[in-house]
Amino acid sequence: MSTVEPVDSHLAALRADLDAVRAPAALEGALLARFAPAQGRRPSLWWMPPLALAATVAMVSWTIRAPMPQRPAQPFVAPVDPGPFLALRPLERIALEPAARVVATEFPRALLADWGLPVAPDRADEPVRAEMLYSAEGEALAVRIIQ
Amino acid sequence: MNPMPPQDPRAEHALLARMKAGDESAFVALYRIHKDAVYRFALLYCGAPAAAADVTQDTFMHLMAKPGQFDPARGSVGAWLCGVARMLARRQMGLREQARDPGDLGDDLDPAPEQVDHDTPLERVLRGEAAEQVRLAIARLAPHYRDVLILCELSGLSYAEAAQVCGLEIGTVRSRLARARSALAQRLAPFHHGAEEAVS
Repeated sequence: MSTVEPVDSHLAALRADLDAVRAPAALEGALLARFAPAQGRRPSLWWMPPLALAATVAMVSWTIRAPMPQRPAQPFVAPVDPGPFLALRPLERIALEPAARVVATEFPRALLADWGLPVAPDRADEPVRAEMLYSAEGEALAVRIIQ
Repeated sequence: MNPMPPQDPRAEHALLARMKAGDESAFVALYRIHKDAVYRFALLYCGAPAAAADVTQDTFMHLMAKPGQFDPARGSVGAWLCGVARMLARRQMGLREQARDPGDLGDDLDPAPEQVDHDTPLERVLRGEAAEQVRLAIARLAPHYRDVLILCELSGLSYAEAAQVCGLEIGTVRSRLARARSALAQRLAPFHHGAEEAVS
């Protein structure tokens, strides 16, 4: 007889014998008694961190998804270009001025004629807003009409 | 023998998830599915019912304490429990069972005193202890052979699962199983001849 058959038959005998073997019944109770401690008891305020996290997520989601408040449409106004300064003195003189300053002012439109600028007679009395470029000594070097 | 019970993996994974969430009934369900197979496995390893009960209890304590160690990609719950029981049984049996280079090991190993009986083959047959004789013969095998024999022949694990439990290649499991069967046949030969003589 080959060695295979006896081994198989012996192993089959052992399997049949083991079929009747059961784990001791007392084990289940002993294990269940240790189940809760093994799982760990939750602290009394265990729900606080998850609640705070959920609230944070909800707030962030609302902030991201909520439509941004829109400002009322403003009519587009192009910036007013006051235009270039008109030199009242030679450019070399202006260029050499070490401490020129700009002063906003208002004067009668008729004064423009003194600087050789055209003035409509019917508007000669109207005030004109302008920026004056003065030297450190108060000499008018250039003028720029704003309105 | 009813080896590791075949189970629907998804159902077992669902039970495991519920158990992790603190569901005691899920643990009970898993325990009742696998308790007998784990106990039989431990009994084959340890040889003594008391030690097998300890190993079984510790195995399920491990399940409830560290269920995250189970990796569904690496095998079934039953095979994983088998691996835990094997580790605990080896630890309980002491240094003699520490992993060694199989090349340094013989085919047989001196058994623990409680695993040895001194009856003649005829007496054993007359008492109908054939299965016990086989168990003792298995207990005397070298651990690296006994491992694969118990796992594959008596616990119903596949070669792949046994390889996973033992940390071996599948080919190594196959070769060790063949040598284990051969060594067991030699160990049982006197008993087999004695039984034949008793029958005749």
